[in-house]
Amino acid sequence: MAQPYLRVEKLVKRFGPFTALSGVDLDVWPGEVHALLGDNGAGKSTLIKTLSGVHQPTEGQIYIEGKPVTFRTPRDAAAAGIGTVYQDLALNPLMSVTRNFFMGRELKGMFGMLKMDEMDKVAHDEMLKIGIDISDPGQAVGTMSGGQRQTLAIARAIHFGAKVLILDEPTSALGQKQQMEVLRTIKTVRERGDIAIIFITHNEIHSKLIADRFTFLSLGEVIGAGTKEELAGDDIRRLMAGGAEIEDLAQMLA
Amino acid sequence: MTGRSEADRLKQESTLMRMVRRPEAGAFIVMIVVIVAITLASDFKAFNALGLKNNMAIIAQFGIIATGAALLMIAGEFDLSIGSMIGFAGMSMAMMLKWGLPFGLGEATPLSAFLITLAMTLTFGWIIGTIVVRSGLSSFIVTLAFLFFLRGLTEVCFRLINQSTQISGLPDFKETSWFADLFGGEVFGWFYDLWFLLGGNAVTRGSRAGEQLVTGFDARLLWWIIIAGLAYFILSRTQIGNWIFATGDNKEAARANGVPVNQVKIGLFMTTAFCATIFAACQVFDTNTADAAKGNLKELEAIAIAVVGGTLMTGGFGSVIGVVFGAVTFGLVANAVFYIPWIDGSFYRVFVGVVLLAAVFANERIRKRITGGI
Repeated sequence: MAQPYLRVEKLVKRFGPFTALSGVDLDVWPGEVHALLGDNGAGKSTLIKTLSGVHQPTEGQIYIEGKPVTFRTPRDAAAAGIGTVYQDLALNPLMSVTRNFFMGRELKGMFGMLKMDEMDKVAHDEMLKIGIDISDPGQAVGTMSGGQRQTLAIARAIHFGAKVLILDEPTSALGQKQQMEVLRTIKTVRERGDIAIIFITHNEIHSKLIADRFTFLSLGEVIGAGTKEELAGDDIRRLMAGGAEIEDLAQMLA
Repeated sequence: MTGRSEADRLKQESTLMRMVRRPEAGAFIVMIVVIVAITLASDFKAFNALGLKNNMAIIAQFGIIATGAALLMIAGEFDLSIGSMIGFAGMSMAMMLKWGLPFGLGEATPLSAFLITLAMTLTFGWIIGTIVVRSGLSSFIVTLAFLFFLRGLTEVCFRLINQSTQISGLPDFKETSWFADLFGGEVFGWFYDLWFLLGGNAVTRGSRAGEQLVTGFDARLLWWIIIAGLAYFILSRTQIGNWIFATGDNKEAARANGVPVNQVKIGLFMTTAFCATIFAACQVFDTNTADAAKGNLKELEAIAIAVVGGTLMTGGFGSVIGVVFGAVTFGLVANAVFYIPWIDGSFYRVFVGVVLLAAVFANERIRKRITGGI
């Protein structure tokens, strides 16, 4: 593990006169959870969209295993092993687990026929590997809980070759127990050791529970980064608030 | 923590319960009720040799266009131009057969008339689909425009070239051309031969008494079976079927996973145009006539049958088997007046209205159950 799987150097992204990202550095190592934190508008979304090939960087360079790469489309990024699970999860509620799992990448035999049995088995096994045993792969996704859907989307990304898993606020909009379910899933994926996870969240507690490394963004810049050991608890809280002291915030409210 | 997990909350259902909850269950029950009611009310006349032939003819007509309409609806779009497309295709074929091929290319054969017409209707389907996916406009409005456009074009062509909006008395091509026979001829003759051998299906009065009455079903029955069979196979067993469901359910999710959403939709608009052309070909080669009003309102019947068959108006869900049941139901009721003299023919539309509304409610319940009440 001599080098990070994904390295971002001095990434700049401008939209016309607006600078969304000004010189962001990021190292993502296999087998680690890298928490990406920051307030609304800090540039988190722009950063992950650039990493997923949706946006092209204005300046700066992305490296995969030390080699410079350019992503022109999301397809390029996916081929390089970047799997992004967006908040909406890109699932179809009326379709079955299996049909969602293989949507757009179906296993087919003669005449484009679906290999349904094989697909059922793969979908079931891949979800079991990261901690959820669905009893019926023919179940419609609409009947699943938020946590189960998240797991399905993650298992799908991994199965189709994600080496870097970008999770966009996977715990928001979920109940307490389902949040823990998702965190446990992330932990299981980390334990495989070969997948790097970028975990985007607003939640300080979740990030502390699970992350090995942190990067804090504010107004398009990195205002703090380091491993869990390097950052003390107070630092994390201060950086989450965009560098302000909690006391200052309390003052604002007073 | 106990050993309970989310997965335990999904109740395992018996096979019977699963059957009842399938999208086509409601359509099946309605179909059985209609079959029984019409059989009794018509004193079995609806299903004697001639009755069965005539009923299957209209059922197959409905089935052919409803299958195309249902596939398109599952992908989340409507096609209101089906009826006008039928009129256009029928006009085009009959006109070529009567007046010869365009640009002075000589006499038309049934094959060349059909192929040139099909090329035109598929092009129209492609244009409609491309406009819908490129503009992002509702297919309702785009195909409504083509409903008027194609009907108008059909009438204009008739008057300019033919001086009348009807063509009748074409030669009986099915006697001389195998290709015309494919559309206008008869199929499954063995069924009626067997029926005759078993003592039924005979002329009862007049000089021909005792001879075989009906010799076969109309060819459109075979076309319906082929189209519905293919549609069932593609929808439920192939990759393209998965793409059709994905496109209609949440097209952004489908696109994000690499499903070619636009191509799926354009392809399905071409499919409805294809079904309309087959419908028209069967009509032209069976009766050797064409009329500018042919196919009028058929698009709405096709959509109604698709909905009664369990297809969701919002897309993403539906079944070809359900559409088969819907077509049988609609065909029988549309024809009922011929076998039950004391009912008024317009009860057909009363029935359609009631059944359609009931079906929409039932489908909505299914959708809510699947999506967890959203």
